[in-house]
Amino acid sequence: MDPNGVPTEYYQLVAALLFTIGIVGVLVRRNALIIFMSIELMLNAVNLSFVAFSRQYGQMDGQIFVFFVMAVAAAEVVVGLAILVAIFRNRETASVDDVHLLKG
Amino acid sequence: MDAAFLIASAVKVLIVLGFVLIAVPFIVWMERKVIGHMQDRIGPQRVGPFGLLQTIADGIKLFFKEDIIPGQADRVVFFLAPALSVITAFVALSVVPFGDKVTVFGREVPLHIADVNVAILWVLGTTSMGVYGIVLGGWASNSKYPLLGGLRSSAQMISYELAQGISLVGVILMTGTLSLAGIVRQQEHMWFIVPQFFAFVIFLLCGIAETNRAPFDLPEAETELVAGFHTEFSSMKFALYFLAEYANMMVVSAVAISVFFGGWHGPILPPVVWFLIKLSLFLFFFVWLRATFPRLRYDQLMAFGWKVLLPLSLLNLAVTAVVVALTG
Amino acid sequence: MVEAILFTLFSLSAVAFSLGMVFRRNAVHCALHLVGVLLSLSGMFVLLHAQFIAAIQILVYAGAIMVLFLFVVMLLNVRGESPLLTPGAAKGFGFFFAFIAFVELLWIVLSRGGSEGLPEAVAALSPGFGSPSEIGRILYTTWLFPFEVTSILLMIAVVGAVVLAKRKFA
Repeated sequence: MDPNGVPTEYYQLVAALLFTIGIVGVLVRRNALIIFMSIELMLNAVNLSFVAFSRQYGQMDGQIFVFFVMAVAAAEVVVGLAILVAIFRNRETASVDDVHLLKG
Repeated sequence: MDAAFLIASAVKVLIVLGFVLIAVPFIVWMERKVIGHMQDRIGPQRVGPFGLLQTIADGIKLFFKEDIIPGQADRVVFFLAPALSVITAFVALSVVPFGDKVTVFGREVPLHIADVNVAILWVLGTTSMGVYGIVLGGWASNSKYPLLGGLRSSAQMISYELAQGISLVGVILMTGTLSLAGIVRQQEHMWFIVPQFFAFVIFLLCGIAETNRAPFDLPEAETELVAGFHTEFSSMKFALYFLAEYANMMVVSAVAISVFFGGWHGPILPPVVWFLIKLSLFLFFFVWLRATFPRLRYDQLMAFGWKVLLPLSLLNLAVTAVVVALTG
Repeated sequence: MVEAILFTLFSLSAVAFSLGMVFRRNAVHCALHLVGVLLSLSGMFVLLHAQFIAAIQILVYAGAIMVLFLFVVMLLNVRGESPLLTPGAAKGFGFFFAFIAFVELLWIVLSRGGSEGLPEAVAALSPGFGSPSEIGRILYTTWLFPFEVTSILLMIAVVGAVVLAKRKFA
């Protein structure tokens, strides 16, 4: 480790913590919007880890990966929110427990 | 990061902050006076010489007004929203270069608070954060007109941000840098308005839409929405929104000047003076537009953004890219 | 020293905001807390010399994606779900599995598993590390093909969103 820098492991720890909180959000919340946000949180935790490793190795490919993750996240959010709006229009609910029929 | 650097930065922050806070009342006075004359009225003239102190009197009045919070409002967000508006506007100004390097006590001090190599992205990012102030203000009021204003503004800002960003890419291609100071330095002999005229027009139109100024002031359209997102705000919270709107006008003007109008460059007069002259001309232009054009309808606004400005900005980018590839 | 203080500040705010995001009832508050997390992470990216990624994080994530989220939350205007968390045993299982995942992650981080060939010391930074021009150089040479695939993905997403939003159900 360089003398005045923060060790990479610390960043990994923060990333792990954020990722876990994201898992909790996905598993225990019922509002589809919040579940979506929790997935974004998990993606961001992974991004932090990528950037930290990119710093550790002194190579920028990790940052490029973050760039791609953001592009995929944007695509995912656009389609996901469109689906949510369609479901809401149809069933007047945003709770994942109320959407359990394949047809109807 | 030595002490002198910190002191210089702190002084520059204070200067920019003070300048904006002092300039805004005079811009408001200028707006009322100019629109007054354009509409064959006189405008404010009672308080101080030429009515110059009118806005300051208004400010003092707002300061002493009762601060009303609607009973059903989300109190925390209601406090947060006007503050966010102002903060994002001021933060965006931190990367704008308002003059060349000057020598103070034998040290070279560049005349911008921070020269980051992603300055343009920083400005775009912070202005896109500015939308939170308006959307949340509309939502937290828990009232239907503000909510409609907030929804309108979020859709409007997402739409126009896109064309605004792409219109700047042409200049970035030509200069090869994202730093505003770097872009200004390359305009010593020719302002980029000459090769990038269309990009400038697109940028300016989007900038007017981003700052919610007439004729794109749909989020607060008083004829339809009472006062849009700030209907429920009174006293200093309203004053903060007011301040944010004018600070945002300054941000858009400053970026347009730095990217297209040669920043601080100009003959004879010192650089800072040139920057201020250009800034006042831009602000006058904003006022002039408001006095001239009627407000658009919302579907016209969306169609204009997506079907005219965005394709044009993409076309401009493609042509610039081809030209840069062939000549560069 | 400055870096350590800023790191502590950003990591604490990131964790606090993310907890708020998961456990607030109001969806708008949740979205705002997520914006807080994104901004804290952007600060950490700057500490890690990734200025371009930090700016993109604010511009794309906080400025565009989250505004879209807020827009949908306000459009649907869902009145707070009656039970905050999923009821009964499912909640217990949720926390349990999250805890197991955390222990696993912790073990991976602390044991430095799979780190063969990892440089002991932090590598020296090349000039222009994390700057837009360097990112662009790598993106358009080494990663050109994935970049083009991304553009197709985004196009498909746009078309999909339009189709979904336009379709009239019932």
